[in-house]
Amino acid sequence: MQMTNVFREKGSLRGWSAGWLAPLAIAVMLSAPARAAERESLTIGMTQFPATLNPNIDTMAAKSYVLGMALRPFTVYDADWKLVCLLCVTLPSIDNRLAVPIDLADGKKGIDITYTIRPEAKWGDGVPVTTEDVLFTYEVGRDPASAVSNAEFYRRITSIDVKDDKTFTLHVDKLTFDYAAINDFTLLPAHIERPAFADPAQYRVRTRYNTEPTNPGLYNGPYRVSEVVAGSHVLLEPNPHWAGPAGHFRRITVRAIENTAALEANLLSGTIDMVAGELGLSLDEALAFEKRRGDAFQMIYKPGLVFEHIDLDLDRPALADRRVRQALILGLDREAIANSLFAGRQKVADSFVNPLDAGYSADTPRYKYDPARAAALLDAAGWHAQPGGIRRNLAGEDLSLELMTTAGNRTRELVEQVLQSQWRRIGVDIRIKNEPARVLFGQTVPHRHFDMAMYAWISAPESVPRSTLHSSEIPNAANGFAGQNAPGFKSAEMDRLIDALEIELDPEKRNTLWAEAQRLYAEELPSLPLFFRSDSFILPKWLSGVRPTGNQYPTTLWITDWTAQP
Amino acid sequence: MIRFTFIRLVEIAAMLVLMSFVIYALIGLMPGDPIDLMRQADPRVSAADVARLKAVYGLDQPLFARYLDWARRALAGDLGYSRLFAAPVWSALVPRLGNSLVLMGSSFVLALALALGLGTAAARRPNSRLDAAVNLVCFAGVSMPTFWLALILILLFAAGLGWLPASGIATAGASDLADRLRHLVLPVATLTLASIGGYTRYVRAAMREALAQDHIRTARAKGASEARVILHHALPSALIPVTTILALSFGGLVSGALVTETMFAYPGMGKLIFDAVMGNDYNLALAALLLAAVVTMLANLAADLAYGWLDPRVSYR
Amino acid sequence: MKLPLLLLALIAVLSFAGPPLGTALGIDLNAVDLLDRFAGASPLHPLGTDELGRDVLLRLLAGGRVSLVIGIAAALAAAAIGTLVGLAAGYLGGWTDRALMRLTDAIIALPLLPLLIVVAALDLNKLGLPAALARSDDISLLRIVALAVLVGWTTAARLVRGATLVTRNRDFVRAARSLGAGVPHILRVHILPNVLAPLIVATTLSVGDVILLESVLSFLGLGIQPPLASWGTMLSNAQQLMSTAPLLAIYPGAMIFLTVIACNLFGDALQQRFDRRAAVRS
Repeated sequence: MQMTNVFREKGSLRGWSAGWLAPLAIAVMLSAPARAAERESLTIGMTQFPATLNPNIDTMAAKSYVLGMALRPFTVYDADWKLVCLLCVTLPSIDNRLAVPIDLADGKKGIDITYTIRPEAKWGDGVPVTTEDVLFTYEVGRDPASAVSNAEFYRRITSIDVKDDKTFTLHVDKLTFDYAAINDFTLLPAHIERPAFADPAQYRVRTRYNTEPTNPGLYNGPYRVSEVVAGSHVLLEPNPHWAGPAGHFRRITVRAIENTAALEANLLSGTIDMVAGELGLSLDEALAFEKRRGDAFQMIYKPGLVFEHIDLDLDRPALADRRVRQALILGLDREAIANSLFAGRQKVADSFVNPLDAGYSADTPRYKYDPARAAALLDAAGWHAQPGGIRRNLAGEDLSLELMTTAGNRTRELVEQVLQSQWRRIGVDIRIKNEPARVLFGQTVPHRHFDMAMYAWISAPESVPRSTLHSSEIPNAANGFAGQNAPGFKSAEMDRLIDALEIELDPEKRNTLWAEAQRLYAEELPSLPLFFRSDSFILPKWLSGVRPTGNQYPTTLWITDWTAQP
Repeated sequence: MIRFTFIRLVEIAAMLVLMSFVIYALIGLMPGDPIDLMRQADPRVSAADVARLKAVYGLDQPLFARYLDWARRALAGDLGYSRLFAAPVWSALVPRLGNSLVLMGSSFVLALALALGLGTAAARRPNSRLDAAVNLVCFAGVSMPTFWLALILILLFAAGLGWLPASGIATAGASDLADRLRHLVLPVATLTLASIGGYTRYVRAAMREALAQDHIRTARAKGASEARVILHHALPSALIPVTTILALSFGGLVSGALVTETMFAYPGMGKLIFDAVMGNDYNLALAALLLAAVVTMLANLAADLAYGWLDPRVSYR
Repeated sequence: MKLPLLLLALIAVLSFAGPPLGTALGIDLNAVDLLDRFAGASPLHPLGTDELGRDVLLRLLAGGRVSLVIGIAAALAAAAIGTLVGLAAGYLGGWTDRALMRLTDAIIALPLLPLLIVVAALDLNKLGLPAALARSDDISLLRIVALAVLVGWTTAARLVRGATLVTRNRDFVRAARSLGAGVPHILRVHILPNVLAPLIVATTLSVGDVILLESVLSFLGLGIQPPLASWGTMLSNAQQLMSTAPLLAIYPGAMIFLTVIACNLFGDALQQRFDRRAAVRS
């Protein structure tokens, strides 16, 4: 009798597993023929999901990545870091008379710039892209209630003259060398978005990019968004009204997988075809991946604009001494870190200017690993070696500093531990105290509650370092802790260079200014330059045409160049 | 009993009000907000923009004023707008809630069914080899970090053998049931393995106690079949303590499983709550957390009432 | 009973003796060697080296020390707090009981992980903690213990309350009360001993839970500060290296697994022993 009971239990067990296995088996069989059609579709994995698809609300790398395929900006920096027109016909310049400097009433200089929208440009519902959209986007951007993130651009435009359906002139109240770059000016479709803007304060809620993101009329790029599953994936399909060269793929899925170990596993299992370099594996993870499975994939490492550095609080007595700052960087073997942790794929930074940048100066002073010189500088600064290993000054204080970075960022935490170990050798004691990103950037860095903070500045080609190095940008209560000069760097010379750089139109003279700014930075070391971060793209062997830019503009802007080999 | 229920319901309502404030304050006490992070990611956002955006999102108001504002509107039935999902809170919640119910529900049913079988089998022969084996399996399941278990399953069944998809809830654009089920297998397996141990131990303990009772011996003496003894006599009394875990698990159906969802990129409630809290999305975080709390508390109440129904010895004062 | 206890003792002895031994042998467990990363087993490094060229065995043992300290400290603290709450609720009854039990209900009803993260991100200086403590090295350890206690005390509280409720009305307690014994005396002499057995079991089990919680917090990026090692941080750091250096993940994973399962089996065995004794007595 007892046996029957045991059998019944087992039977029920078997029933359960059979119930689960049956659809599983069918599904496995179904998946096999799907592979043949694979080359018409592409599944991209990345670590973030965009919150909104409205191009002008919130800045988020995941959104730029998706919208790169679906919306055309007027101008961007391409893979050669040249400014190019995407939605406009000709890039305005003073030479081609499309940009005309003017004198303003207050004695300053302004500029009038004329753009023409590509005649064939259409929204996905067939409505042409016109100056109507230009005026509407300007109206939205100017409205303080509309939650547009980068309003500075709109504030500089005093008015817009419309010549016809396709041509318009911007009147800008400041003449800068990069006047032609209107990269942030992404057009909104007036014929769809205007009703949502009836109440500007409600625009961020009612924008059609949120309420009906699959409306084809919202997109004017080679692809349009056809399915959005929040937190999971975005599906893109060709835009039937796109007049340019068509993209190769009939379906592109962008899938968000936050955990990088899971992202890797998805790649290996074929659930995704590639990992976006813009939001993918960190360099050391990608290198580890390449070692094991690299032969099955194409690996591209692209050094970029993300500048990893350590901010030093210049108001701390120990760090206020330039000799100590120089000793700190001389005591670091950054080459060794780059070569071992990053297999030489990531370059040591000498200053905040990337070697790929037009403003880069090769004459910038370099700090090679030199522990002897570091020790001499520390001795000179009054920090003397002690039997315990940690240097001490005459007041009996240990040379002990707190190093912070974003907790949970594995690469930074690795580098941090190497730095700690290397500095220990020149008698500097480092205590590591990491914080979650939102605490570090929301509180600690802007309020300057740190000795040393390791993080990155993200910039653009030829981006003038006003927000990071100008003395007026030191965060304090008066400016709402909004500046980014967290080290508290005050240099009249640097201020002068920055002011001059912004308005100098002559490339020769600008290069001289750039070189001076880099020399000054390298001598003063308000922050310790570490590396320019490299993005790691992991692509299938059959995919070609992906050209990483290394700047903040995603590869997807050139999606029509991507093709699959059979 | 009606009085008891009424008092408990009033208490639950009071608790919810209190909890809503505590949660609001906790999120508010966390330094930094999304605008600070945005500024960090984009140097072109100026100081003026930061101040303007904080005003637009109401982040410049004092915490208590913001809470009162939220409470007033929530009482009127307006849960507000989720900044993170760019949608009204309710329409951000519903699909996630559905996903979580499917994931948590199927793993819960699976684990409970297996636990009833394993627990009963183990309880019938205490200290046998089978009992020891079941015990070991139970403890093995709960002794592994979930993310570790998930990773091993992914590496084995998705990356290694290629049998199953490694992440997501469905292939983009596909909507057939087989596809959904294929995506469910690994996360459900992870959660089942992680939870089966606890359930089995409850069942085993309850069953052992039930089998030791007098009326079981009487039933056996009367010559009832073993199956009848288990199903008709022991199981009902063993189910009483099991209702407790049933009730406690109800909250999980709504609050999701953060780690498993993260590992499998499964858009469920656990990830939603985590993202909402981390992203200062007050409206969404409050709605989701309070929903989880109210479901758990009501389920607890239901379990208490069920006690009285299943076990006449319990009385309500 | 014997085996899990032996295993736990072994792990504890090795974890606490290993790091000092390493220091005595002149191996610094935080010393980075970039030229010797991912090295295989060798006489100098019996389990090889990690991604920064540090000795894996030594870090594993040091990590064990941290994980065990966190686990035991948090389990004991949670048991202590839970006992106080449970005694108060169970013995005093009435409104105290109601309020305390609703508080435990609330803690159980909420998905705690996201809220723990909020607590982890709180500014300790703002909360009035002395700056010296808020900035000290051990603060990240204390934080994790505090978080684990925050989640863990409810189990003990419910357990103790239940046992107190039962014991309160037993004859010997009534007798003691009628003889004029004070509340602390009754609690200490008559009630606590009766609660002790299940409490010890629950505490043993929760050591394992805390060790698991620590690994999850590391997974979420809220573990202890580097270069301090714990099994949780070692495991979550190694998960990205699963395909290249799987052993780096397998070692800490196995240690967590062994320790937690040993705790659980030991707790289970204790429970059975107490049950048997209770059965004999009755």
